[in-house]
Amino acid sequence: MNDKLLHAPPELDLFAADRPAIDALSRRVDADPENVERGLAQLVLTLVELLRQLMERQALRRIDAGTLTDEQVERLGTTFMELDKRMRKLLEEFGLQEEDLNIDLGPLGNLL
Amino acid sequence: MIELYAVTDHPTPPLPDVAPLRVVPCRDLAAVCAPAGDPELSPEALWRHEEVVEALMRDRDLLPVRFGTRLPDEAAAARAVADRREALAVALQRVRGAVELAVRLLAEAEGGQEAEAPAGGADYMQQRRAAAEVAAAIHAPLSRLARASAERPSPVRNEVLRAAYLVDREAVERFGHAVAGLQREHPRLRILCTGPWPPYSFAEA
Repeated sequence: MNDKLLHAPPELDLFAADRPAIDALSRRVDADPENVERGLAQLVLTLVELLRQLMERQALRRIDAGTLTDEQVERLGTTFMELDKRMRKLLEEFGLQEEDLNIDLGPLGNLL
Repeated sequence: MIELYAVTDHPTPPLPDVAPLRVVPCRDLAAVCAPAGDPELSPEALWRHEEVVEALMRDRDLLPVRFGTRLPDEAAAARAVADRREALAVALQRVRGAVELAVRLLAEAEGGQEAEAPAGGADYMQQRRAAAEVAAAIHAPLSRLARASAERPSPVRNEVLRAAYLVDREAVERFGHAVAGLQREHPRLRILCTGPWPPYSFAEA
């Protein structure tokens, strides 16, 4: 693998939190129900996270455009902050890590 | 069952000896395939696929085919190429002479601590903006060295950029130097640059 490193920081481990994110889809159909539920949660939360990021970027663009009042910015930010917290709680409930939302969404991933 | 590895020009240079590979021509394009093995999904199987594609990439331009693309036989592979021949030819032209490089960027808060919890909505948006600006400071100069680039969402909060760049083969070294330069300019960031990879992110036909 080292021949693939064009540039790496000394603390390379920091990037290695990623595990191969094939949990949701690699299980056979007859996997036990708990795994199916977790896999489905992983897939759904991945989509939700993508949408959350998309909306956040859009919000930033609107703020940049300068058409929002301070109060509106505060409200928008609070909404995203709450969404963010809720997201983390859901991950915790399903025993997932941030990195687990790393499923390749194919062309959908290009929306960002 | 056969497994597809790549779509490339036809004729194509002799195939590497890494698998029982066969060329399935379709006019000026060809699919490269091999008898499909055990359909088990494992990191080892993924790496084997990657090794084959990379061996092919060494001496030809190609559109890498995603791991796990299986067809009943060579006739089906020929039909699959024929059905999308024009789009594939355009895509192959787009990646000709280029490889993919991947960049991941971790932002670090002051003193290596977790970013402070935002005080409120506006503060939260301010943090998001700061992250976006850090990402742009790296992404913009690197994009200029690439033919094309693609940003990917990252689920990891302090990973502010995850992107792929389509870079001319002869410009890979320059790209690496540019990354090293950016790292020196931004000592608090951690930049990881890997490659060259087959142009997976730019192979959409």
